[in-house]
Amino acid sequence: MTASPIRDLASFADALRGRGLTVTPDQVSEMALSFLYIDPAERNHVYAALRALSITDPGHRRIYDEEFRRFFEGFHRPGSTAEQHSRLASATEHKPIIETIPEEAVDETVSQAGASAVENVAARDFASLDDNDLGEARRMVSAMSWQPSDFRTRRWASDKRGRRPDLRRTLHGAVGPEGDLMAIRMKDRRIRQRPLIVLADISGSMERYAEMFLVFAHAAQHKIEHVEVFTFSTHLTRISPELKKRDPKVALSRVSSTVTDWSGGTKIGEALADWNKNWSRRLARGRPIVLILSDGWDCGDPRLLGDEMARLARSVHKVIWLNPLAARAEYQPATRGMKAVLPHIDHLLPAASVRDLSGVVRLLESIARER
Amino acid sequence: MIPSSIEDLATRLDEQSYLAADDLTVAIHLALQLGRPLFLEGEAGVGKTEVAKVLARMTGRELIRLQCYEGLDVGQALYEWDYARQMMEIRLLEARGEGHDATARDIMSREFLIARPLLQAIEATADGGRPVLLIDELDRADEEFEAFLLELLSDFQVSIPEIGTLKADVPPVVVLTSNRTREIHDALKRRCIYHWIDYPSPDLEASIVLKKVPGIEADLAKSLAEAMQRLRAMDLFKPPGVAETLDWAESLKLLQEGDLTPQIIDRTLGVVLKYKDDIDSVREAGLEALVV
Repeated sequence: MTASPIRDLASFADALRGRGLTVTPDQVSEMALSFLYIDPAERNHVYAALRALSITDPGHRRIYDEEFRRFFEGFHRPGSTAEQHSRLASATEHKPIIETIPEEAVDETVSQAGASAVENVAARDFASLDDNDLGEARRMVSAMSWQPSDFRTRRWASDKRGRRPDLRRTLHGAVGPEGDLMAIRMKDRRIRQRPLIVLADISGSMERYAEMFLVFAHAAQHKIEHVEVFTFSTHLTRISPELKKRDPKVALSRVSSTVTDWSGGTKIGEALADWNKNWSRRLARGRPIVLILSDGWDCGDPRLLGDEMARLARSVHKVIWLNPLAARAEYQPATRGMKAVLPHIDHLLPAASVRDLSGVVRLLESIARER
Repeated sequence: MIPSSIEDLATRLDEQSYLAADDLTVAIHLALQLGRPLFLEGEAGVGKTEVAKVLARMTGRELIRLQCYEGLDVGQALYEWDYARQMMEIRLLEARGEGHDATARDIMSREFLIARPLLQAIEATADGGRPVLLIDELDRADEEFEAFLLELLSDFQVSIPEIGTLKADVPPVVVLTSNRTREIHDALKRRCIYHWIDYPSPDLEASIVLKKVPGIEADLAKSLAEAMQRLRAMDLFKPPGVAETLDWAESLKLLQEGDLTPQIIDRTLGVVLKYKDDIDSVREAGLEALVV
């Protein structure tokens, strides 16, 4: 502790910002103010006070501890409390459940695509299709029917055909010279479309599926409101603006020039961390459904992946993981990456064929109808 | 009366049988002195809600509690018109032949308003005192409510179109709690003193047991606290909180058991663990391991 800790506060805040935390000027002045109420010579009190006024997430405590020691005590001993925090995010072993889609659920989509021979294309793994069939598959994915994912919020709004009397409006209508107590106004719960977030793995191992999945994401963006699409391999790229183009070919060619890490290595944990830190608050309003397409081959730290998945799962309504490999009968989610994410996902589905993808659409609809 | 120093606060909390870790005491002290809301997060059963109750007892003020849930709206949180009374009033005015002259003022005044917790808290400051407002389990409410709360917590005033603006004379003591089932918006947390309540250290937990369960042996309290420590290290689906420790201590006292043996644990495990999977995995790991 230096002789004048208050003078140091601004630099301390800067140090925290340097580690990626947000500390507002208001918080800095509150920190200074707090020295009026605590004894600056009491190391533990200063420590607790500045912590209560600067960080707003228990996950940031390790960074805070390190910076606090470095700043006020002049030494650096990283990671000593990491053990104790990691447990917060740990979870029990989950049994992998791979969901299958009933046959009848997909027939409709397939028949919409027109031809009778498409049945074959629809059921086959994208990896096994030749160029001709791939074109057909692309058309089928583009033409899938999407029901808007409406859901009834728990908030009420005035509605003539509503289910409950709106007493407030009724009473307002009942006063004054024109007042009439008999005119009962009604209200009902508000309807809103649930947003959809798509995160697509475009790393080397996903090459054969990623392109088809982007066609799928493109279709989603044009058929329902509030869709945001990202790709990732070594870093996260937002491609929703590029996908706005109506023609899938044009949209996808724009995407391929925007995205710079095609077929790179996979750092799912880092990509999710980027999402959580920079995008989640802006785009995860209204409890969206998140679709992640990845085979779970991750070359990053599985603990980071688990932690970031946990955080993601907390901020959204449902997490659906699509794994092309899950279509295979012998599939077990045994990669380190898949093991780390399993406790945090609501549904694990295959995504290797047109049939699989239309199953995803049906699942999204059933989630929308849940309440 | 709000304690003026940290030591004073610690003593007063202690008098209310609440043993707080040092960092929590500092956070509470700052919240009281700076007049800012205290935002408490932590696993279930670590005593978040208890903080508000203790502060109310300690300051001798009213505890006003708002339990959050999804869809919580202004009508439940702030105020609602008393429709039944308003209708009766209109009928009465009509019966007296004054129905045509009735105006909004006649049935839209304060006497027809039902104050919900947030308005109660604002009105309870009228005598210059600071009531304790507990906004419990904020993570259960939705984002619309959070946005509304953000506005209210910044200046403690509400505008009711038919009546006007009501403002708190002094900021109430506000305690918000969250179990962190979802992230609360950062803007709201930054307006508060934020504190994550950890599980207590074994020593502190043993002291809490001694304080809250009078007549229990010090040795038993100590072994309970240590057993809890080991349980929490076991990666359970739902690690037990301090509330469970106290239940356990009460149970052992009731059964007149003076020692924590594997046999006793076996018979009372349901007091501590509430999920079958957890009970199974603890049994599998061996109950002896809890009492080494």
